[in-house]
Amino acid sequence: MSSAKSPTIPNQLLASLPKKEYQALQVHLEEIPLVFEEFLYRPHMVISDVYFPNSGIISLVAGVNERSTLEVGLVGNEGMVGLGVFMGVDTVLNHAVVQGAGSAMKMKATAFRKECNNGGSLMRLLLRYSHSVFTQVTQSAVCNQLHSIDARLSRWLLMTHDRMGDDEFQITQEFLSNMLGVRREGVNKAAGDLQKRELIRYSRGRLTVLDRPGLEAATCGCYQIIKDETSSVHM
Amino acid sequence: MVAATSIKEARLNHLLAGASDEELERLLPDLELVTLKLGKVLYESGEKMDYVYFPTTAIISLLYIMENGSTAEIGVIGNDGLVGIAIFMGGDTTPNRAVVQSAGKTFKIKSELMKDEFTRGGRFHNLCLRYTQALITQISQTAVCNRLHSVDQQLCRWLLLSHDRLPSDRLIMTQDLISNMLGVRREGITHAAKRLQKAGYISYVRGDMTILNRTGLESSVCECYQVVRTEYDRLLA
Repeated sequence: MSSAKSPTIPNQLLASLPKKEYQALQVHLEEIPLVFEEFLYRPHMVISDVYFPNSGIISLVAGVNERSTLEVGLVGNEGMVGLGVFMGVDTVLNHAVVQGAGSAMKMKATAFRKECNNGGSLMRLLLRYSHSVFTQVTQSAVCNQLHSIDARLSRWLLMTHDRMGDDEFQITQEFLSNMLGVRREGVNKAAGDLQKRELIRYSRGRLTVLDRPGLEAATCGCYQIIKDETSSVHM
Repeated sequence: MVAATSIKEARLNHLLAGASDEELERLLPDLELVTLKLGKVLYESGEKMDYVYFPTTAIISLLYIMENGSTAEIGVIGNDGLVGIAIFMGGDTTPNRAVVQSAGKTFKIKSELMKDEFTRGGRFHNLCLRYTQALITQISQTAVCNRLHSVDQQLCRWLLLSHDRLPSDRLIMTQDLISNMLGVRREGITHAAKRLQKAGYISYVRGDMTILNRTGLESSVCECYQVVRTEYDRLLA
């Protein structure tokens, strides 16, 4: 079977579909910009659309309230936002917020649900992807509980770097503090440490990755586990 | 009648109870009821999973094992769910350990047979997917709770989640297991348990815990418990 895999389909899930299935989906796909800090959905809000990012990053954030939050997942062009729809629910408890601007293919949840149940490879692909998301959520949970802030920040930067395709990104301390579940002073100190080691440069909300192998050495095993699991989806 | 008894027994597990009669009848010959002892490991991290488990009275904890051997609980599964979601999601292994947290019974089925039934794509299939979503919610909320809330609140949450899945008010554990579950040092757990005991909510003697006042625990817990509970009720009703 010929696969849709081609450089013209930047989203890796869509690119992994057989050509015919991709074409069936294509009529439902609409390209939209992903705007920094925009919410794609919020807790208890009916998910009316799902998104397959072409570029950019979306954070999945769980929380107790607006002030106490923790990132539980990151989605870039390797995945999709709105997996709950595939699982058969129409609302979920986390936020999906654009963390890095880019673009995505948007699809109506109703059309997506129908395509999932067609018995083609989409179902199998999404199951595999769900497993990788499950691993990511689990691994981030454990990492946030047990590892040092420096290691966690390094993991987060590497995961972001993988998905941004750019060495420089815009990020506030407050955002990092919400993602890592750490107070701002903690984030500040960890970023300072990484900067002193010349792994990153961070000033006025712009963060630049200077030494990627250095970050890889500074992070815990969680990064590689998540990465391996994620890349196994598209094989 | 043997068959009628086993159907009744199987329906003690909420996922099996939610399957259609036809699905359950198909599954039943392949479901084996077994008793699990406290501390038994159902599968190790990275190991191939030969069976999927549907607990009826046992409670299973999903633990993450760190490089240095320390552990943290990522989720708890009882008669509300199943152990081995990786099987139908197409991953043969999963990076966590499943260990019996409270002795009791469970049905088990060979992974291959579970996969066959799941692939048929009926009501049971949809229920398993919604359960996966609920489990992801539990894991996410546990992460938030472990990161942001006090040990007392975490212990209350853990006790209430366990109590929901227990056939009685008594939970027999070792202190080591409890501290493994919460990723907190033993002393931390002992102190928190003593405070709950002093308040009259539980009695606690060396890992033998009885819940005396559930309302008291509910008043001391953070909102994480209710968030998870409500989501389970909504998704699996």
